[in-house]
Amino acid sequence: MQPVNLFNLAAQQARWLSVRQSVIAGNVANVNTPGYVARDVEPFEAVLDDRHVSMKTTEPGHMSGNNPLVQDVSLREDDENPTILPSGNTVSLQTELVKSADVQRQFNINTAIVKAFHNMMSMATKE
Amino acid sequence: MDPLSTAMKVAASGLDAQSERLRVVSENMANAQSTGRLPGSDPYRRKTITFTAEVDRASGGAMVKVSNIGKDETAFPVEFDPGNQAADADGYVKVPNVNMLVEMADMREANRSYEADLQVIKQARNLISMTIDLLRSGS
Repeated sequence: MQPVNLFNLAAQQARWLSVRQSVIAGNVANVNTPGYVARDVEPFEAVLDDRHVSMKTTEPGHMSGNNPLVQDVSLREDDENPTILPSGNTVSLQTELVKSADVQRQFNINTAIVKAFHNMMSMATKE
Repeated sequence: MDPLSTAMKVAASGLDAQSERLRVVSENMANAQSTGRLPGSDPYRRKTITFTAEVDRASGGAMVKVSNIGKDETAFPVEFDPGNQAADADGYVKVPNVNMLVEMADMREANRSYEADLQVIKQARNLISMTIDLLRSGS
């Protein structure tokens, strides 16, 4: 089982994508809130790089030091939309919808890959 | 809490806030001609609504909620209409400070924001069903 680390990676990305979707939801919900600053999550690469060195597990009973799932994806202010309304709100609806379409596309790829691997594994275990 | 449920909850709070805003707009528009009852009395005063962001402690999502429904303190325009019951001694009637154009613009904006919130909910539902589809056997 060890060589296929894919499921872990896919689960992390799926979680990152759903956190991103909830941040987008927050931005869209607050599109008319005065003074609200749009937010976004750290890129996925940054989340991956941020992981600490894990302890080697040589026995099934060993525990690795870190959690395999992205526990808290850190948020930052979204500085990509330069438009600031007189109310101090920096949410741009078009950008948010584009981002959300992006999330959907990546999620689609993610689940398709997991499904393909899952089919391969069930092919191997059948009969 | 599952981030996708959080997304739906946050978008639903946006739907709530925007429908409250639509209610205020409709109150203003319905009362655009409501003058006072007694001579020289004040007519209907336009209502305003403001939103505020509030972090939901359970999920960490930035929910939106109505912070305050206030009154528009601009002066009332006057019209010459001696036959009206609210006309003062000179025949002038104070009319509500509702500007139809502003209300229409507000309504459209509420409409657009509502649509965007709905879109986010649909999308979150799609993501969830994609994940559930992984469990289906076969392709």
